[in-house]
Amino acid sequence: MDPATLIPTPDVIPVHWGWFQLLLLVTFFMHILLMNVMVGTAFIAAVSHFYRDGGSSPATTAISEKLPFAIAFAVNFGVAPLLFLQVLYGHFIYTSSILMAVFWLWIIAMVIAAYYLAYIYKYKYLQLNKGRAILTGLITLLLLLVGFLFSNNITMMLQPETWARYLERPNGLLLNLADPSLWPRYLHFMCSAVAVGGMAIALFFSYKRHKGESGLQPWIRYGCSWFGYATFANFWIGAWFAGSLPRGLITMDSANGVFLLIFLISAIITAVFAVVLALREQVLPACSALLGTLALMVLVRDRLRSAYLQPWFAPDELTVQASYSPLIIFLLFFVFGIALIVWMLRLTWKNLDSEEVSS
Amino acid sequence: MNYPVWQLDFFGGGLLIAAIAVFHVYISHFAVGGGLFLVLAERKAHREGNPAIMEYVRRHARFFLLVTMVAGGITGVGIWFTIALLNPAATSVLIHTFVFAWAAEWVFFVIEIVALFLYYYTFGRLSRKHHLLIGWIYFGAAWMSLFIINGIIDFMLTPGSWPQDQNFWSGFFNPTFWPALAFRSFFALLIAGLFGFVTATWSKDARLRLTMTRYAALWLLLPFALFIASGYWYMTALPAELRELVFQRMPMISYYLNGFLLLSPVLVLGGLLLAIRMPASITRPMAVLMLVIGLIYMGCFEFIREGGRRPYIISNYMYSNSIFTRDLEQINQEGVLSRAKWSRHKTITPDNRLAAGRELYNILCLSCHAVDGPMHNIRPLTANFTPSGLDAMLSGMATIHPTMPPYAGTAQERFALATYLAYGLHGNQDPAKTTPIQAKEVELPPFDQEQDDYVLLAWSTTGMHSLSDGFDFWALQPPASTIRAQLIRRGETPELVSEEVNLLYRLEPAFLDPAARSSFWENAQSLFAASPADNIGLSGSPLQGMMSPEEGSFTAEQLPILPYPDGGGFDPYPMVTIEARDPAGRVLATTRVAAPVSTEMGCYQCHGGQWRVDKRAGLSAETAANVLAIHDRLSQTELLAAAEQGAPRSCRSCHPARLDSDGGDGQLLSLSASIHGFHAHFLRERGAGACGLCHPSSPDGASQSFRGVHDAIGLDCTSCHGQLEDHALGLLKAEALEGKARAAALAKGLAPQTVENPDEIVARQPWVNQPDCLNCHQEFEQPETDTSFNQWTAAEDQLYRNRSDESSALFCQACHAAAHGEYPAANDYGQLVHNLQPLQYQGNTLPLGSELNCALCHTVAMEDEMHHPNMLREFRNQ
Repeated sequence: MDPATLIPTPDVIPVHWGWFQLLLLVTFFMHILLMNVMVGTAFIAAVSHFYRDGGSSPATTAISEKLPFAIAFAVNFGVAPLLFLQVLYGHFIYTSSILMAVFWLWIIAMVIAAYYLAYIYKYKYLQLNKGRAILTGLITLLLLLVGFLFSNNITMMLQPETWARYLERPNGLLLNLADPSLWPRYLHFMCSAVAVGGMAIALFFSYKRHKGESGLQPWIRYGCSWFGYATFANFWIGAWFAGSLPRGLITMDSANGVFLLIFLISAIITAVFAVVLALREQVLPACSALLGTLALMVLVRDRLRSAYLQPWFAPDELTVQASYSPLIIFLLFFVFGIALIVWMLRLTWKNLDSEEVSS
Repeated sequence: MNYPVWQLDFFGGGLLIAAIAVFHVYISHFAVGGGLFLVLAERKAHREGNPAIMEYVRRHARFFLLVTMVAGGITGVGIWFTIALLNPAATSVLIHTFVFAWAAEWVFFVIEIVALFLYYYTFGRLSRKHHLLIGWIYFGAAWMSLFIINGIIDFMLTPGSWPQDQNFWSGFFNPTFWPALAFRSFFALLIAGLFGFVTATWSKDARLRLTMTRYAALWLLLPFALFIASGYWYMTALPAELRELVFQRMPMISYYLNGFLLLSPVLVLGGLLLAIRMPASITRPMAVLMLVIGLIYMGCFEFIREGGRRPYIISNYMYSNSIFTRDLEQINQEGVLSRAKWSRHKTITPDNRLAAGRELYNILCLSCHAVDGPMHNIRPLTANFTPSGLDAMLSGMATIHPTMPPYAGTAQERFALATYLAYGLHGNQDPAKTTPIQAKEVELPPFDQEQDDYVLLAWSTTGMHSLSDGFDFWALQPPASTIRAQLIRRGETPELVSEEVNLLYRLEPAFLDPAARSSFWENAQSLFAASPADNIGLSGSPLQGMMSPEEGSFTAEQLPILPYPDGGGFDPYPMVTIEARDPAGRVLATTRVAAPVSTEMGCYQCHGGQWRVDKRAGLSAETAANVLAIHDRLSQTELLAAAEQGAPRSCRSCHPARLDSDGGDGQLLSLSASIHGFHAHFLRERGAGACGLCHPSSPDGASQSFRGVHDAIGLDCTSCHGQLEDHALGLLKAEALEGKARAAALAKGLAPQTVENPDEIVARQPWVNQPDCLNCHQEFEQPETDTSFNQWTAAEDQLYRNRSDESSALFCQACHAAAHGEYPAANDYGQLVHNLQPLQYQGNTLPLGSELNCALCHTVAMEDEMHHPNMLREFRNQ
């Protein structure tokens, strides 16, 4: 069967596809950053509690307080890229979602469970003691599972040649396990999350030190170490991932391949910088390098998607039925929203009493 | 068609979306109204300088945050995930059309989250003014989310001019946008009050508990009048056609409407009760109960709205099963499976019919119908059908059931789908050819061409008396077969004898006790307002007796003959022996004739049950009851209950037999117009096969009533009566001309088959305007056409059964037999039973006197064509 016959016909889009591409990349960057903080800090907290038999540390205390925020914003900033992804690639992602529908829908239940468990972790932190290890372990496990399912869907949508399996098994229980790049890809993302989680911890304690608290250097080092070693590991996982990609997928014959390589090499360079800076505990520079790496990796990921879909589809094939006024209204709301949020945060920061915000 | 279908059985039919949506919608309205509740309650605390209230607000804010942000927020994403899985095509339309509305809604979602976190975590840390300001920003952002989602949701119900202009703004600010926004905004306030009850009644301090419970009650009660008013506004803003559909024509919606109407005062009353000072042990369960009632209340509204949208997912643009309205015609021509990208079977063969049927079910039905699940379970809905019955049902469902989309696909696919549903799910099969039918042995009375002085001719006035025998439930007709006879004294100038002679009739002995095999006599009073003794007909005729003389003929009226012989079985051709005797009792002549009668009505193919008798005929109680149940549901009658209490009704007690009949309700359609007009929707484009499903005319059936010479030369029911659609349209037209609205409504969905457009259909009355033999047999010559639709006898006396020859002596039927059984007739029951008199008098099966056999009566050859022109010739269709 020719997989092309299975690919659904896409709907028309209201403005040039480049707008959606831009919005997709920007919002996905935000999402992946927040997701990394969420998964990474949960993972680090779980490991920490397991090693300390549930014992508390300044890092886990901080994570317990912030984890629900991380989940809230990770989910929230996941909505926008999923929306723009559906506009450009809906006919791929809807299809792959249906193929794994049962698992895909479980994500909702798992996120709700992880979210409420995170609130329990936050509000019952002091009473929990030994239970912290199990609780954070459970949260981490749920979030890792969610990530695994996302990796399945996002890779399966790129491989129409695997879709015909549906005709034999239409009950929504297919995954993309036969793809040799699935596991390295997934681990690459999760390892990145652990690294970013470490950096978030380092940044948090660095901020508190900046505010005048003392004795925090070990915790800055703690975060930086997590970042450094996880990123180091991720070089190898990344190499495994690159090696697992289908032969001929990336070639230097196309602009896409060239761009991908440029982004990838740049990302590796900034990552090396970030690791070196982190191990020197230069948090802000390391953080900047990390953000650069993440942004570049988002671009690599985007080019990789183009390479996968090259035989089937490119967004410039979408028909435009021009209607720009809703875009303008959205952009106005967007700017207004950012301004309002910044204003609210500043208002709060300026007027809040000197105590730390806590429950 | 464009996307794969997630094959769900139990969880199909929208269960997943219903399960997740009811909670999300409830919580998301709380997220709006509750935001206002927070800021106003906080203002109240400030105004009254009451720290206890302020503490309550803080506590409520935490509850609010945990409920709306976690359960509310994630289930919102969950709805999005779910609709994309269950209806990706519609989701894609909504996403692509309103992408910037969704994106803007996301912006407000971000603002909501930031504002709510700031609001909750800065209690007591910000100045009163700033804290309230953040609260107001939260509420504003939440309401803007509602504003945007409301536009998209109501677009699906009333897209306004969008299907034509595809303009974002005309779709967004659609005809129900503003009333729905008002309705949902007030609803959000009520829900804020309901959640307020929960946190208020859980306050430990009794005084605070009472204060805040009363405060929450205000939130429920104060906006209630505005809420109801906006609901009314919403209702009146619906397009008139949709309003009629939702509020009048959808029986299922009435449950939710009633639920909504019933729960409105319950909520008000509950709110008032909770305002009374009561211990927490009472108010807490009450608060939870009120919250649950509110959930059901919201569920009722959402089900009305969702139900009202059917059969569309986006009104007038895409059907519930993701088929674009614009594609329907092409799909009907090309087929679903060949067009669907994700179908495994592209063509249907006998080997894959069941699997292809399942695939069609997935594509066409699964989005609304579960298999064995709680949502619109398809199993009980299809239990009563055979594959052919269901095929018929599918073909007409959209006309009779306004919530169903029109069937999409080819007739072959429809049958495959029907096979999956009827056979695959239930094991129901179409009736096989009724076997074995053996030729009926009848003793031929003697006739001596040389010696005998009399020729006795007898016939049944109808080709076959067809009746339903579920007399415990309803009746189309009573058992009432009429036999007519003419006695001819032979001679060069034969004479019709009707005086000084008695004609005795006697039904075949095995059929003399129909009362033992039918409940007709037990129900005759209720059905026909008469109480004849057992085995006596409605007009008083016994099954053996003396025929009534009329001028030139004799009649035995309305004999209560049923096709059930002693010893069981089914025989639709009971024989009647007729003897002519002089006053002294001497037998002048003897003959026999069949009194064809049948209870072979295939209602069970769609109405459940089975044949009642011998697996070939008779209406079982289950079938008859189902017919009434459906009549009750569609026409708001209570006939089944009446029947079960021993008071069955004759159909004609409401639906008159004819337009000018005395009986029945003059406002209702005649029985014939009603029954054909309704069923024609399900039996379109099926030729004579449609007739044979209800009438005993099927060549594979147990009665084979269409057995005459017209059958032998290859004509069928439609040759004279037209296709079922035409037949129904003619009847309905006559009713519509009488101003009966229902006739026009039924006619609307039927396309004439024999003529180009409905205007050409000639209005006709049942039992009066019938095919005229002379339409084809013009001047009694060989016909030049074999179709005669649209030309009808003008009056009853012109009917074939009432007509006589040009000498006005002999009835047409005397020599040619009854309609549908004209000589020479034959079917699986043999020739003898149908052609007994030609065989008796002529030794052949041809019309009496044909082949120049004038001597049969005239004793000599004749030269004049006195009975009708063109009679003196060789019979054409031997």
